[in-house]
Amino acid sequence: MSDTAQLAADAGSRDPAVGLRAVRALRILVERLEALQVDNAREQGWTWQEIAVLLGVTRQAVHKKHAGGRGLLRRER
Amino acid sequence: MFERFHADAQQAVVHAQHEATVLRHDKIGTEHVLLGLLAQPGSVAARVLARHGLDHDTAGDAVTRALQSRTGDGAEDIDADALESIGIDLDAIRQKVEAAFGPGALDRDPRRPSRRLGGHIPFSPRAKKVLELSLREAINLGHNYIGDGHILLGLLREGDGLAARVMTEAGIDLTTLRQEIRAELN
Repeated sequence: MSDTAQLAADAGSRDPAVGLRAVRALRILVERLEALQVDNAREQGWTWQEIAVLLGVTRQAVHKKHAGGRGLLRRER
Repeated sequence: MFERFHADAQQAVVHAQHEATVLRHDKIGTEHVLLGLLAQPGSVAARVLARHGLDHDTAGDAVTRALQSRTGDGAEDIDADALESIGIDLDAIRQKVEAAFGPGALDRDPRRPSRRLGGHIPFSPRAKKVLELSLREAINLGHNYIGDGHILLGLLREGDGLAARVMTEAGIDLTTLRQEIRAELN
């Protein structure tokens, strides 16, 4: 239980340096996972609409964010 | 200027492009040029470098290490300690993701194009400079062509890129190397 207690203490840390670093790391992790999963879904033939529904965002949002890196007409970033 | 390039020098450039593609880099840097030279074991450049213990694999490892330690270049590392502080085990996530998508799947920066197969990768300004300097080295030697040896001389003349660092860290004295290549080319 002491490990759990320690984690709980960290998670509720009032030290902004700890908390903000965690948020940043989490955001990068989420971005990576999202890109992987969206690419994967597109490769399996999912439409942008289907992907958007499961991600809980609009079709336009998911298309704008992810369509650039794929396909023949992909934009250079 | 590529019309003055001998076949071995052209091949080195083609290999450099390939190296950048494989490493998923968006520019051809001096390090890719060096790896391109080393990709042809029989060439002047590769033979002279081999005498100093630098081959393609050794240089490739050194480049990978150097790029990993460089911050702000390539994909940003995910801070495992920070995630642990909120109870998230990055290793466990990495294991599952790599099981499904292959090694390194989580380490790619999604904002960078990851599928450049066959695409054209531009030279970095420094690598461009190296190619220009290789022409100058050829002219200095009174040669009317650019061979792979001249490209290595160009890398040495430029001197500030990652390629020069890899050679220095391999314990190679760049002045000695330069003399040896010039001797080979004469």
